Amino acid sequence: MEHHLLHICLQSLKDNNNPPSLQALASLRSLIINPNTSDSTIYSILETLTHSLQLSTNSLTTHHHILKLLTDLASHRTHLSSQILNSIHSSSLLFTESTQIAAESLTSLASFSNSDQNKIDDQLFMSLCFAATSASARLRLLRNGERLGIGTHMLFTVFLGFTKDPYPYVRKASLDGLLGLCKSYDLFEDISVTEGCYCRAVELLQDNEHSVRSAAIRVVCEWGQMLIAAKEGNDKIAQSNQVFVQICSMVRDMSVEVRVEAFNALGKIKLVSEDILLQTISKKVLAILKEKNSHGQCTAERFEILASSYAGAFMHGLEDEFHEVRKSACNSLRIHTILYAEFARRSLSLLMDMLNDESMAVRLEALEALHHMATFDCLNVQEIHMHMFLGSLLDSCDLIRSTARKIFKLVKLPDLKLFRLSIHGLLQNLERYSKDEADVFSVLFFMGRSHGNFAAHIVKEVSQEIEPVLEGQLGLDSARVAAFLVLAISAPLSQNQNGQIIPPRLFSYAVTLLGRISCALSEVVDQDTLLAYLSQCSRSSTLGAEVEVESLLPAVDDVVLNRTKKDVNNPVEVPMLQTGNETSKVQPVTSCELEYLATSIVECQADELGEVMKSVNLILARVRDAWLLVQSRCTNAALRALRDCKRELAMLTSTSLESSGAMAFTLQYLQVMKLFAKIWEHAVWKIRSNETGGLEYLFGKLDMRLRELRYRYIGFSKEEELYVLELIALACLLRLSKVEISCSPTTMKKLSAIISHIEILNDKGSIEPSNILMDAKKTVHEIESSKAGISCSLFLITNLDDFFTLKQFSLCSRVRHINAELNVPGNDSENPLRFVSGLPVAIPLDITLYNVSSENRLWLTMRMSEESTQFVFLDLNILGGCNEVKKFTFVAPFYRTPKACSFSLWISIGMECALEDCHILNHCGGPRRDLVYLFQEKEVHLCLVRRG
Amino acid sequence: MAIECLVLGAGQEVGKSCVVVTINGKRIMFDCGMHMGYDDHRRYPDFSLISKSRDFDHSLDCVIITHFHLDHVGALPYFTEVCGYNGPIYMTYPTKALAPLMLEDFRKVLVDRRGEEEQFTSLHISQCMQKVIAIDLKQTLQVDDDLQIRAYYAGHVLGAAMFYAKVGESAMVYTGDYNMTPDRHLGAAQIDRLELDLLITESTYATTIRDSKYAREREFLKAVHECVAGGGKVLIPTFALGRAQELCILLDDYWERMNLKVPIYFSAGLTIQANMYYKILISWTSQKIKETYATRNAFDFKHVHNFDRSLINAPGPCVLFATPGMISGGFSLEVFKQWAPCEMNLITLPGYCVAGTVGHKLMSGKPTKIVLDKDTQIDVRCQIHQLSFSPHTDSKGIMDLARFLSPKNVILVHGEKPKMVSLKERIQSELRIPCYLPANCDTVHIPSTTYVKAHASNAFIRSCLNPNFRFLKRSKEENSDQVLRNTNSTALLQVNDERVAEGILIMEKGKKARVVHQDDLLLMLRQKKHDIQFGYCCAAQLDNLEETGNRDGALSHSDKCSCLQLLFKELSNYFSGVNIQDLGEHLQVESFQVSVCLKDNCPYRIIDSPRKEAPTIFFCCSWSAADEKLAREIISAIERFNLSDNLPCKNSK
Repeated sequence: MEHHLLHICLQSLKDNNNPPSLQALASLRSLIINPNTSDSTIYSILETLTHSLQLSTNSLTTHHHILKLLTDLASHRTHLSSQILNSIHSSSLLFTESTQIAAESLTSLASFSNSDQNKIDDQLFMSLCFAATSASARLRLLRNGERLGIGTHMLFTVFLGFTKDPYPYVRKASLDGLLGLCKSYDLFEDISVTEGCYCRAVELLQDNEHSVRSAAIRVVCEWGQMLIAAKEGNDKIAQSNQVFVQICSMVRDMSVEVRVEAFNALGKIKLVSEDILLQTISKKVLAILKEKNSHGQCTAERFEILASSYAGAFMHGLEDEFHEVRKSACNSLRIHTILYAEFARRSLSLLMDMLNDESMAVRLEALEALHHMATFDCLNVQEIHMHMFLGSLLDSCDLIRSTARKIFKLVKLPDLKLFRLSIHGLLQNLERYSKDEADVFSVLFFMGRSHGNFAAHIVKEVSQEIEPVLEGQLGLDSARVAAFLVLAISAPLSQNQNGQIIPPRLFSYAVTLLGRISCALSEVVDQDTLLAYLSQCSRSSTLGAEVEVESLLPAVDDVVLNRTKKDVNNPVEVPMLQTGNETSKVQPVTSCELEYLATSIVECQADELGEVMKSVNLILARVRDAWLLVQSRCTNAALRALRDCKRELAMLTSTSLESSGAMAFTLQYLQVMKLFAKIWEHAVWKIRSNETGGLEYLFGKLDMRLRELRYRYIGFSKEEELYVLELIALACLLRLSKVEISCSPTTMKKLSAIISHIEILNDKGSIEPSNILMDAKKTVHEIESSKAGISCSLFLITNLDDFFTLKQFSLCSRVRHINAELNVPGNDSENPLRFVSGLPVAIPLDITLYNVSSENRLWLTMRMSEESTQFVFLDLNILGGCNEVKKFTFVAPFYRTPKACSFSLWISIGMECALEDCHILNHCGGPRRDLVYLFQEKEVHLCLVRRG
Repeated sequence: MAIECLVLGAGQEVGKSCVVVTINGKRIMFDCGMHMGYDDHRRYPDFSLISKSRDFDHSLDCVIITHFHLDHVGALPYFTEVCGYNGPIYMTYPTKALAPLMLEDFRKVLVDRRGEEEQFTSLHISQCMQKVIAIDLKQTLQVDDDLQIRAYYAGHVLGAAMFYAKVGESAMVYTGDYNMTPDRHLGAAQIDRLELDLLITESTYATTIRDSKYAREREFLKAVHECVAGGGKVLIPTFALGRAQELCILLDDYWERMNLKVPIYFSAGLTIQANMYYKILISWTSQKIKETYATRNAFDFKHVHNFDRSLINAPGPCVLFATPGMISGGFSLEVFKQWAPCEMNLITLPGYCVAGTVGHKLMSGKPTKIVLDKDTQIDVRCQIHQLSFSPHTDSKGIMDLARFLSPKNVILVHGEKPKMVSLKERIQSELRIPCYLPANCDTVHIPSTTYVKAHASNAFIRSCLNPNFRFLKRSKEENSDQVLRNTNSTALLQVNDERVAEGILIMEKGKKARVVHQDDLLLMLRQKKHDIQFGYCCAAQLDNLEETGNRDGALSHSDKCSCLQLLFKELSNYFSGVNIQDLGEHLQVESFQVSVCLKDNCPYRIIDSPRKEAPTIFFCCSWSAADEKLAREIISAIERFNLSDNLPCKNSK
């Protein structure tokens, strides 16, 4: 079929006398675009086409078709394109009489290769341009000028010349060409060239064809900017003004396209004089400007004519029928608002009016402009604006509301009345759209912080509403009350809060809403910090000006600030405008707001730590009471008391690493004491002696807890360390006391190690060792000497109860907790990691380490089943030093992937217990000492990679 | 030929718009309005001025009505049915639909309320409307062989149009009333850039420059919102067409956005019917409404319900649109009586109220009591809000339109004289366009463009098709050095395409005019082309030839060549960047040629006796007029040269 078709077509083409039939050409095309056509066929088609291209007998249409086919061929078979290129290049087409054909072949050339390859002679191009009688040929030439690799100077000449063409499309094409050329800086050296081009474009602003006019605006804008760039000092501003005014004259064009283009261009001109900008937002010629001009250069009449040409330019844009134009006008107005305070003030009213626009896009753009102004601190809202401004908080469109709230976060209100209105508006927003709650809270927080005084006022006014209404029932489920609480808690953070007191109980109310509030403020502050702040404020009875609370949340502000700064897409440099004899007031553009809040977090934390320590020690004191219960055989009551302690501890929250260390220690201690209490019941009172297995389990657990207590905390004072060691010794003694398990030499070994350690500690200081230690020491000696341990030990242990009394223990030093967090990002049972059975698999881990020093030997354990655990050593030196908090990503290899469709790995981080005895574990390269685990095991899901 | 403009109405006044324009022999009447202020003969334009014999069918080619307001269409039934005009009448589709409603309404008011003798009957109106030919926007309609008209969107009211009329090469635009800023339901006037001899524009607000209407909208919405939020009722008395729809769209949109649930009511009557027309005639409304039409007809108001009389005293807030606009009677007065005594309620008033109406009383001061008649007194305790939206363009809009169209003449109608005078001044001084303010019954004559048809020769057409641009340097910055250095065309400032200028117009008696190319002209005249060449033989000093002797005889060929080469070297050094060609026998720069002159008495030589003390060689130069400047430069350079060495010549002269 293919060959048959080809044959017919080629016959038809080769017949030199008759032009090829359209049908034949169409069949050829079908062959060309069919991807299944064999290469040999394609080659013969190419050959024939190339051949027939050379024939001079062809008519215009034939050439046209052949060129079209070649272009198609080149685009479908890209590997042939260079060959086709050559054939077109070498054909005599470019030099034929018919410029139509020449232009067409050039277009084909340009269409399928880049400019380097098909460079044609400048001279040829020029002559073609001049010879082209048909407008379409000229159009083709101009449009492809750049792609044909013509020299820039030549192109410029041609483009500039053809702006005089009688055909509007040719004029437009040459303007477009000029626009493309403005990036070529070699032309730019000669200012008169730029000027010439600019002036020509200005002339074309009056063209009858709207497409030409809009192209001319683009050229005026771009080349005008080049002119501006070339000027210095006052000339620069004068030039800038001139370009601006020139474009302003186009905003009343009847064509939408032209108007949009004009406003887009207005936004690109920076540095326009204030008086001109002011005039663009007033349709009347401003009297002040007339006065200013009176000692100026031009006559009053001349000035009025000039001013009326750009008077109200922006107003017209904002009033336009087409939302595209209004949007563009809003956008370019935004660029200029931040330069001058007066202009900002006046255009603010216009922008506020735009919030009533019927098109959502325009409203949004206006809000963006307001946000831009707020970011640069030139948004001075007045009462007249409030109706519209607050209206956008109630808009039915989510996007509008959230953008409006973004502005409220930054806005600075001059008086209480406006503040009250704004709060009211936000509350209405909350009322009507409850899903906005989080964002509204965060806005309230920001507003309260920047207007502390006002916020305090409002809170005072509504305190009745916040207070518990019926029998202590807080109306806290009401979003409104919650909103007021957010406002209340934000007020003390404000700098301009002069002695306004927020009642401390409000903070405790706020604690009850912690989840809701911290969720809303998540971008500002984390929950722990917030809680610490709240609990501190609520606790300090003498809360007032003397409480230093504003030091909280400093890091936050930087984050927020940085983010908003980044939002502003083009940071505007502060331009100093010196126009003639008057100096324009330029507002400082960079805003360093909220910087004052960046005070040290340390003081606050110190306070907070003190608070936590106090509470912890209170709890610890109660542990001793509980122990007395144990000794008086009331184990259950003791356990209950310990549980209470635990619960109480959970109520405390910490914000700093140090306080959390103390709390973690206390928790661990409580757990240890619980185990002791239970074991005591077995071992000393022998109440449930029959449950040996249970006791063994309890001992194991106790061992582990004690080991953690010993190794996972650093920064113990000597007393504290001794106390921990004492507890371990006690545990050993208890173990020994149980006949069934006491013979274990390991326990003995351990006990002696502990005792020697205690002795070493005691050598340095002079702390009286407790009875139990003395006893233990004696026991060890006796057992070792007698070698008949069992009987002796039995005797000894029976007196244990008499010997051991729990000391009053209190935590006074800053204990730090060695801790780790581990996460496998994006992994759960639904999204397992993929592995190939038998090959190692990489497991990406996000690891956070707290208080780990380089002496600690950390191991990553990966457990597939009880028997097979793989260890990976985490070399902290390689992973880059140690800080209090260290966060990194680690890719752990797991080698022994099983032959299974899927399996789970249990991953954890363990730390070698440095002071324990070495004993080689059965794994090669594994840890040599026992591990304390810093993290609960994390399950990682893996799944076999499936084929196909 | 001239354009003749006879103003029958709205000359230096507002009311009864009617202008009869004669262009190239065609007579068009634009608008046929009545004056609402008069009851006598002054109510209608004086049609007798058109034709003494009252044969209007022959004296007028067509009547064009711009929109349905009575001051633009009011006299039409009278003119057609009573005066007997039977020619074509053009108006847009909406105008054709709405004009009879307005006319009928007016007729009823006249006859039923005022008890006047009727000027025309319902039958007259319907018969008149049968003669109307509807036209669409931007549709070009050929009235007859010569006259074509086209309608452009004018804003103002539904269906309002500006009309373009063209006879032969003379063209004009009559605007009617128009609005250059869009409102909530109508767009802004829109027209193409046309070549016009005359623009006739309204000038209702000839001196006002209106600020953004957004502020007024904002105040209106705020007042209404606050009133209904406080539980009050809002009464908005409006005219049935236009304002009611605009305000309703505004409110409906606001209600939608703010999610308000307070009901908005339309009182029954014309308003409902008018809304129906708006719903049908969507293509004549603003862009926004046209865009949203695909999903929802903006005139299907979401929050609007029909009002029932029983609702007047229903509790709770509401908004009510009621006719007539000035609370002159009817339903709006009825509701006003009920609602005015309560402080919570709000009455909004239109921008303009006729004296004597309740609306007017409310506007002037803040009365606490309004006496309707001797039995009825109304306590006014409600709030009053005044609206001032106007569908007319302001002076800036008029200026902008005139600037955009750039006609050759402007005539102002439909305005107050003192204001029109000041606008006229501005048009003449700022736009430099002659401007006229004819009074009623005045005629203005304006010269119109005349075109002569000419044959063009093929060569001329070809030359027109080919690009032929040149770059020119602005003369004031011209200085000789720059010209020489910047012969590459890119550095020149202005572009000039002279292809049309190069034609030659030939008008011979008894023959049609022809435009020919310059080459054709030579053929026609059987003449040869003459080029002007300048010649000058200049002397240069030559030292080193002395040694070669041979001073008196002719220089040998090799000497000539070496001289030229020396000169070439010097010139190339001196004029770097200029393309100097050495063609053996002579050097060439552009059209400037220089060769060694061996003649003793060269006709171009001015100093015929060379200074004997220094050896001299003569160079014969020739150039064409175009390169005069360049030639002078080179010659003066040559004369300064000393070809023997590079030292400047010590000129003894």
